[in-house]
Amino acid sequence: MSLYFTKSHEWADVDGDIAAVGITDYAAGELGDVVYVELPEVGSAVQAGGKLCEVESVKAASEIFSPVSGVVTEVNTALEDAPELINADAMTAWICKIKIDGLNAELMDETAYKAGL
Amino acid sequence: MSDYIPVTEREREEMLAATGVKSVDELFADIPAGLRAGRLKLPAGLSQQEVYEKLKKTASLNRVYRSCMRGAGAYRHYIPSAVKAIASRSEFVTAYTPYQAEMSQGILRAMFEYQTYICLLTGMDVSNASLYNGATAAAEAALMTKERGRYKVFVTDNVRPDVLAVMKTYLAAKNMELVVLPAKDGLTDAEALGALLDGSAAAVYAERPNYFGLIEDFDAIGEAAHAAGAKFIGGCNPISLALLKTPADCGADIAVGEGQPLGMSLAFGGPYLGFIACKEKEVRKLPGRIVGETVDKNMRKAYVLTLQPREQHIKRERASSNICSNEALCALTATVYMGAMGKEGMREAASACTSYAHYAARKFRETGLELRYEGEFFHEFVTVAKGASDRILAALDERGILGGLRLSDDELLWCFTELNSKAEIDEATALIGGAL
Amino acid sequence: MSADNLIFEKSSLGARAATIRNPDVPVYAPSCALRENFDFPELTEVALVRHYTALSRMAFGVDNGFYPLGSCTMKYNPKLNEEIASFEGFTDIHPLAPEGSVQGALEVMYGLSEALKEITGMDAVTLQPAAGAHGEYTGLSIIAAYHKGRGDLARKKIIVPDSAHGTNPASAAMAGFEVINIPSDEGKGVDLDALRAAAGADTAALMLTNPTTLGLFEKNIEAIAEIVHSAGGLLYYDGANLNAVMGIVRPGDMGFDVVHLNLHKTFSTPHGGGGPGSGPVGCKRALEKYLPDPHVIKNADGTYSFAYSGDSIGKVSSFYGNFLVYLKAYAYILTLGAEGIRRSAEGAVLNANYLKAGISDLYPVEGGARHCMHEFVASCERLKEECGVSAMDVAKALIDRGMHPPTMYFPTIVHEALMFEPTETEDKATLDAAIEALRAVYDEAHADPEKLVSAPHNAVISRPDEVLAAKRQILRWKG
Repeated sequence: MSLYFTKSHEWADVDGDIAAVGITDYAAGELGDVVYVELPEVGSAVQAGGKLCEVESVKAASEIFSPVSGVVTEVNTALEDAPELINADAMTAWICKIKIDGLNAELMDETAYKAGL
Repeated sequence: MSDYIPVTEREREEMLAATGVKSVDELFADIPAGLRAGRLKLPAGLSQQEVYEKLKKTASLNRVYRSCMRGAGAYRHYIPSAVKAIASRSEFVTAYTPYQAEMSQGILRAMFEYQTYICLLTGMDVSNASLYNGATAAAEAALMTKERGRYKVFVTDNVRPDVLAVMKTYLAAKNMELVVLPAKDGLTDAEALGALLDGSAAAVYAERPNYFGLIEDFDAIGEAAHAAGAKFIGGCNPISLALLKTPADCGADIAVGEGQPLGMSLAFGGPYLGFIACKEKEVRKLPGRIVGETVDKNMRKAYVLTLQPREQHIKRERASSNICSNEALCALTATVYMGAMGKEGMREAASACTSYAHYAARKFRETGLELRYEGEFFHEFVTVAKGASDRILAALDERGILGGLRLSDDELLWCFTELNSKAEIDEATALIGGAL
Repeated sequence: MSADNLIFEKSSLGARAATIRNPDVPVYAPSCALRENFDFPELTEVALVRHYTALSRMAFGVDNGFYPLGSCTMKYNPKLNEEIASFEGFTDIHPLAPEGSVQGALEVMYGLSEALKEITGMDAVTLQPAAGAHGEYTGLSIIAAYHKGRGDLARKKIIVPDSAHGTNPASAAMAGFEVINIPSDEGKGVDLDALRAAAGADTAALMLTNPTTLGLFEKNIEAIAEIVHSAGGLLYYDGANLNAVMGIVRPGDMGFDVVHLNLHKTFSTPHGGGGPGSGPVGCKRALEKYLPDPHVIKNADGTYSFAYSGDSIGKVSSFYGNFLVYLKAYAYILTLGAEGIRRSAEGAVLNANYLKAGISDLYPVEGGARHCMHEFVASCERLKEECGVSAMDVAKALIDRGMHPPTMYFPTIVHEALMFEPTETEDKATLDAAIEALRAVYDEAHADPEKLVSAPHNAVISRPDEVLAAKRQILRWKG
């Protein structure tokens, strides 16, 4: 298992050919209280760096970009009723799981990501 | 001659000094001299009295008919005095959009009541706080239904021409296609429609009553739309909804309409009120302001503008619509109207509309006019008499009656409301008889 | 009965407010689609009137007090115009009545269009759009039709500065364009290099408001026009800030090809709690034929008629737009005349500079070394660092002092922004009181920040929980 980060503040926790994807604590902090997560559709194909979904707070709507290419296999339906899970712990509040067929070339490890903040 | 600048000459000097300049001109130093406009080629200003007199005279060049038998999208109804009195209170009239909830609870509560009234009227779950008018409401509703692979919106050529025209403008820009089907006996042909719908259909839009006044079979149209996986948008006359089944009960996913009959005057076409309401699952696609209930810090009930990330000021080019200013004061007017009419008043008005229209249709037929369509109608109907349209209208006009709208040399579209009377209709009948 | 109760909670079975005449013809019920579940609350007229009078006392308009809401031009709405818009000859005419019976209405439309052409320096005007954003949409649709009409099909992009009103990119998207956002330069004006890089064969237009949302006149406007025009694009003027310069400089003379106006801002028609507005669009001759149908022409015999263009983008609104709203603007223009229009702009700019001079030592103003136009953007960033009091807190504290707060957190290119637009219709005493209030709030922020963070204290409600509202989504009364 390994954890990757993007410049646009998403994370991907890769286990075999499946990546769990979420946003970072920093991104959650910038957004403020998350009130809605527009979950991607299971079965939809996503491109690394392409739009995955949107996360909304009261005063902002933020596009989430996929760290990996592949097909969405599962979405975290717990976020439908409890979007605040992202504020509670963004690193465990995964948004969806993606069966990977390619990684974004610009992914960083945790040290590099945190150095860039 | 008049302006609304209260600063006196002496105060102006003090203010210029405080600002650190000698003249107002200096404040405009950033504007390149070469771009400056000379004196505008407009007349000199007038006194308030002169403006009043001038426009009073202009108003007198418009003819106010003693009796109106024309609708076609703009309807003359009785407007209770309390509606005008409340809607002209300057706290409402001169306020801006309620961004500062603590100072705007009155407006926010009234909007919340408006949203509730529209839900009660249409049977839908959620209403926004208004759109510009019935035509833009229908167009915005159509835009809401675009999904991956679904881009066609189906309508019949019996919807209001203005609605059709605005939909055409709006859809073209968003790469959606408007498919217009011919009406059958004035009605939507649900069977033919069903045969045409496929996986590219985003929505079907129909009106009840339609442009010809006929009561469409919303259930059948909704079923056809849903069978193809498309949404059904039901356009309704709000007064008719006191008598007729709600669009929600007919399976509509979105209900829209022209709210002008709810207490707004004819006003040569505006300002009117676009209402739009939908099922709960569509709420994030709903355009425009929405008011929600919450609590304040002291747990007191409070109202705020909510779900704002849908809107242009946050989502910019990704917003569900560009609407910012809406028709808030018209929505307030409609709210007070519905409050003043109440359950019985709304029913009585709707019943009077349809009763007068059916009486008129019966009387007109006695003169030799024929009804163009056989279907059931609400408060509008189309008559036919070979080449007689202009003659009929001229005969009525001469006696201060605005007759039906001329659709062709032969056809007229009539409308009756609670403001008409038996005497007027009998008089019109005699005049028509004479003209034929 | 608590003032908190909604009208639905005040229903009294069988109560009546309005009553209508009994029809003197047989009662008819439609033979199909009848409804059985219709229910509305029932109130007496006195209960109804008291309910909404109570609500009106929980609202705040220009008639209640100072309303320096930046970018919204909350000027006084003359009562004369309201009365004129209530004349029966204007309210009781059917939009589809014969042209001969509505010559007065057509005269108003024609006369206003002519006046707006002169004020904006444009060749043609439509009155059909119902609001500013609707005007933007209309103007951009005309631009799309213009390029298409020339066979120039590649122009799919609209350039928008990052300081623009949110409606600009949203309208561009709605009109089918792709939006290219460009950053501001150090002086927060259009970055000419960024513009040069963005402008090209795919540019349909640049949207710009001048004065900008910082209330500063875009000095490089001629260079900007040159860059956009030489790339084959057009220049779109967002008229939201015209109040600063009307009668002094015209968009048409600055190089703009299309302009929308907000009559509910610049031309004093009331905002009505959010609308109705009116957003006429003007354009240069080459784009005229694309304007929405219909338009009004004056015939040789002095009468007026509607006319249609074969190339029109079609309709954007029912009938002819918000007639009673633009009628009020017409009355306003007739009252002011050429000189009054110019004096109003001068007054707006003087008032803004005076207010700015009174507070900018405490609330630093973006581009403060320059004279502002009709508005300016002050920042609470320093205040927030010093005592933890934000722009929002200052705004809420002003509510306790009886004035409407300025626009908050816009434009987003300024941190902790408060945007003030006093307008020309405020007197010196009102501005002095506002300066005093803002200075007192500043002192209080240092003395007792807690009190400000929990403001307002004297309003109908304290701060509402917006997160709860978004999560619970109670959007209607359910009983």
